[in-house]
Amino acid sequence: MRAFLAGARVQLRFMTAYPDSLIPFFTSPLFTIVFLLVFKHAGRPDLTAYAAIAPVFIALWWLALFNSGWTVTMERWNGTLEMLVASPSSFGAVIFGRIAATTAIGTVSFFEAWLVARLIFGTTVTIHHWGAFLLTVVATLAAMAGTAVGMAALFVLARNAVTFSNSASYPFYVLGGILVPVSLLPHWVRPLSDVVFLSWAADLLRATLRVGPIHQFWPHLGMVVLLGACGYAVGLFALRVILVRVRESGELSTT
Amino acid sequence: MSTLRVVWYSIVNGANDYWSIFTLKSWVFGWLIRVVSQVTFFALIGKLLQKQAQTDFLLIGNAVMVAGMGATFALHQPTNERGNGTLPLLLASPSRPVVVMLARGLYVVADAIWSALLGLAIVGPAFGLHFPWPRVLLVIPLTVLVGAAAYCFSTFLAGVIIAHRNINNLVVNTTIVLLMALCGVNVPVSFFPTWLEWISRCLPITDGLEAIRGVLAGDAWSSIAAHVGGELLSASGWLALALLTFGRFIRAGQRDGSLEFAS
Repeated sequence: MRAFLAGARVQLRFMTAYPDSLIPFFTSPLFTIVFLLVFKHAGRPDLTAYAAIAPVFIALWWLALFNSGWTVTMERWNGTLEMLVASPSSFGAVIFGRIAATTAIGTVSFFEAWLVARLIFGTTVTIHHWGAFLLTVVATLAAMAGTAVGMAALFVLARNAVTFSNSASYPFYVLGGILVPVSLLPHWVRPLSDVVFLSWAADLLRATLRVGPIHQFWPHLGMVVLLGACGYAVGLFALRVILVRVRESGELSTT
Repeated sequence: MSTLRVVWYSIVNGANDYWSIFTLKSWVFGWLIRVVSQVTFFALIGKLLQKQAQTDFLLIGNAVMVAGMGATFALHQPTNERGNGTLPLLLASPSRPVVVMLARGLYVVADAIWSALLGLAIVGPAFGLHFPWPRVLLVIPLTVLVGAAAYCFSTFLAGVIIAHRNINNLVVNTTIVLLMALCGVNVPVSFFPTWLEWISRCLPITDGLEAIRGVLAGDAWSSIAAHVGGELLSASGWLALALLTFGRFIRAGQRDGSLEFAS
């Protein structure tokens, strides 16, 4: 736990020192404006909830891709990975602490998006199912952090990690149905969407902003948690393999 | 003649940079998929609204925006030079840094324009967008114009932030979304208040995009020509600003030492 908290503290300091890591908090309100403009121009105020949710997912995904995903790689580039591996603390706990801190900070975008909706467009986002909303947010953040651990491992292994992180935004926004529900995608795409936790999370969050009952809340929430846990497990396993490999080959500082 | 040589070597440098970033495989399965997904993401909003006109508007706007977005990535050029430690050499040389920067980033614009056209050609038919033949061919030079205008704009911005490389990515990303919001990419600029519409018209992309929409919608040539003129004016204005100010920003950075020691 102490290692986890230490990781979280370090990450918060990094984020305040590097303005680039705060990009989503500048772009999230702008995306809210773009989406709300489109819906206002189309005369569809009923879609305000869609416009208020999508920028949050964009911000969280961006943080997972560019901050959390690069955590281990940045430790390597900074020459601090060796010290981290040699210390008695759990390597996984420190990394997860850093990623969890980044993900938790991402919730700021909720307030930004909804504030923009209120101040610029005069629309209010009403949460009709508070319990379900809070549970979904917590599950989404956990799944995002879990997926980010998977990315952190992938980026160490992949030769084209930069290309991947630059390219893996919009494909997941489409597959995850963060603005337009997956039900509007062609049938052949839907099996792919089913394995992206964003699609379950986005549907649930939108449902919590609607008056009517939420259908199949628990199974959907379970899918968010399950897919996030899968990402975390794969990431943790890959990180262990990487550490064992570089320790055995003695190439820790040069890999 | 020496300027031409500088331009040529800068282009060759840029091309080598480009091929070190992308292989054909990573371009197709990474970048191109992102471009297609980006255009699809916005076109799908039209499906959500159940209006073909909205779908076409969003699709065309966001496909052309890829040219503007890619050109804005050129903001990374001076920062990359600093990161690579080659900026001091460039500043010490007798060539004008702005000429080198402009020429060196041309590959970014070429890639952006090509990506935008591919995005339009691939996603358009999937969403039932009609391409009137042979007018549609005009979309190619007009997209080149949009990319070039956005590139002039981003070169100007690159000079402004050259001493502040720690906010480079922030400026790139924020600028891209701002252009998406203001340049008539997702809603017509006539929807904005008049003062905001005027600001939009000063930015790159806006008029060029309207010209492209006009070509695809079969508008009168006079209207298209007016928008082309507007985009040319915008591009020239941003280019002039870049040429006038880039050297000043560099010299200011040299004077206060911020170019090499800024964090």
